[in-house]
Amino acid sequence: MPDFSEIFSLQSILNYNGGCVVAMRGKNCVAIACDLRFGVQAQTISTDFERVFEVGPHLYIGLPGLATDTQTVFQRLQFRIKMYEMREGRRVKPRTLMAMVQNLLYERRFGPYFVEPVIAGLHPTTKEPYICALDLIGCECEPEDFVVSGTCSESLYGMCETTWREDMEPDDLFECISQSLVNAFDRDALSGWGAVVHVIEQDKVTTRYLKCRQD
Amino acid sequence: MDSLEDIHTGFQFSNFARNETLVAKGFPMPKSRKTGTTIAGVVFKDGVVLGADTRATEGDIIADKNCSKIHYLQPNMYCCGAGTAADLVMTTQLMASQLELHRLNTGRQVPVVAANRMLKQMLFRYQGYIGAALVLGGVDKHGSHIYSIHPHGSTDRLPYTTMGSGSLAAMSVFEVHWKPDLELEEAKQLVRDAIAGGIFNDLGSGSNVDLCIITKDGATMLRPYDVANVKGQRQGKYIYKTGTTDILSTSVRPIQIVSETVRKVGEEEMETA
Amino acid sequence: MSHLQSIMVQKSDDDKMHQLSSNLIMAVSGEAGDTTQFAEYIAKNIQLYKMRNGYELTPSAAVHFTRHTLATHLRSREPYFVNLLMGGFDPDSNTSELYYMDYLAASVPVKYYAFGYGGMFTLAVMDKDYRPNMNVDEAYELLKKCANEIKRRFIINLPKFRVRVISKDGIKELPYVVAEGEAA
Repeated sequence: MPDFSEIFSLQSILNYNGGCVVAMRGKNCVAIACDLRFGVQAQTISTDFERVFEVGPHLYIGLPGLATDTQTVFQRLQFRIKMYEMREGRRVKPRTLMAMVQNLLYERRFGPYFVEPVIAGLHPTTKEPYICALDLIGCECEPEDFVVSGTCSESLYGMCETTWREDMEPDDLFECISQSLVNAFDRDALSGWGAVVHVIEQDKVTTRYLKCRQD
Repeated sequence: MDSLEDIHTGFQFSNFARNETLVAKGFPMPKSRKTGTTIAGVVFKDGVVLGADTRATEGDIIADKNCSKIHYLQPNMYCCGAGTAADLVMTTQLMASQLELHRLNTGRQVPVVAANRMLKQMLFRYQGYIGAALVLGGVDKHGSHIYSIHPHGSTDRLPYTTMGSGSLAAMSVFEVHWKPDLELEEAKQLVRDAIAGGIFNDLGSGSNVDLCIITKDGATMLRPYDVANVKGQRQGKYIYKTGTTDILSTSVRPIQIVSETVRKVGEEEMETA
Repeated sequence: MSHLQSIMVQKSDDDKMHQLSSNLIMAVSGEAGDTTQFAEYIAKNIQLYKMRNGYELTPSAAVHFTRHTLATHLRSREPYFVNLLMGGFDPDSNTSELYYMDYLAASVPVKYYAFGYGGMFTLAVMDKDYRPNMNVDEAYELLKKCANEIKRRFIINLPKFRVRVISKDGIKELPYVVAEGEAA
């Protein structure tokens, strides 16, 4: 393969395939969104690579990072979730999922998977919104407002920091997260090429695919 | 070939060889989240005060502006952490459960020395690769104790100590103002000032001051004790009107509740079978 | 169809495709020994699955198996260095599928792709002229364009390309694509 190492000065293996995820808390709702690019450094290979996965009726996880680990971690996680649900006879709660991911990642503390997960969901009974981000060895961060992860996380921090407000209704939350994501990844060569946004409410989940720049 | 998910305990090294290959190809290892951190603890007349800032960093990015660095170990024992954030979380979680088992096995309150010994033995076993620098504080029947525990497993029992990248700033405050048998309010103020020293003079520390006061009557978390940096009010309004974003397709998946049963329970029931 | 070693053409009628089942083909590139070894391992295991269970794996199931195998070996002392494309036709759902998989075991469904240096020249050609509803002749013409582009722009001589079609009728060999036009 051609060597782009000098152009891109090989920042980190986390940026090898590109991609980003963001999640936001609203009023009785949460939203999680990701871009759709799959590339190998500068070469875009696919523009329908979703890195946010549904793991329960009100529960989603985004796994930006090295694509092979996105797939491996999701498969291993799905295995653990299914084993949990069979053993316990109930669905996983958002915080339980966080602990599960945390253990999965920290188990490999000295040879990590290159993913930085983001979790968004509603508590199955209390319907309390939950968002959380983990680093690649499983340190959780559960803030009140938003979490970001992926190749354009710095731009996302900036966008979210200015656009996020308390107690947004689902429609406002959608616009807020979409505009934050799209404007952040338009400044990133490694992510973009389409986006998908899930807005999770008590009685429904709305999934929207966004129109984006294709460059 | 191993099966998809064997039952393993302890650390897994299956990705290690692959990751080394990637490093050899010129991809440096990604940074994990660190707590640059100022943490401190003092012994006062009736107990101990632990303090910490609330900044977590990933490289030069602030990953969390209000993270909690004072971790629960036992009702009479808390622990401040500096270093690799995941190591601190997992080490203190593990210790909390081992101490609880110890308490149930022995049927008495666990002394602070025991926690100190267990932590140092674990950290020594991992030869410093678990990057946890701790300030352990607690009150037991022997009195009030502060220990500082280093990642390689060495520990010191001290009347006052600091750790983390802001430890020098915080220690300078202690060295000037500390005296034996402080009153509670004096001790709180002293720890606040020490942490604030780190917050304002160390780039790795920032945001708020968290305190934890432990006396023979139990522990009180003050989070935040002092908001050292109040966020300014946003001048403009950045509200996107509905319809700003172009949508290619929308799908709504209703979540229908087929049946609902509500079972009232007081405390969470514990499996004892 | 050229097998190269350093600057020397070792073989000019190499077959880089491996038939995995009656409606599934894997084309491999990467380190010389690994490619054959890995492809044969996958092919034989997919055959074994068919014998044991009396039915064949669907293309997507075969891709999952291949990805898992590659990912597991990636974590061993001697990982395979293999990039591959898997093309198949699923007779049950009546769909044709093509999967990209790189040596890190990231697998993605794609419409078209080319590994290696050839990809530098041919991806742009395919970006421009590919349509999802092409028939066999049109697809063949597109491959010809790609071969011509390689001949025109690439310093290395890659004259002949093997072409196979996978459809509901199974696998069919088409005439080689021979690059036409002025050489680089």
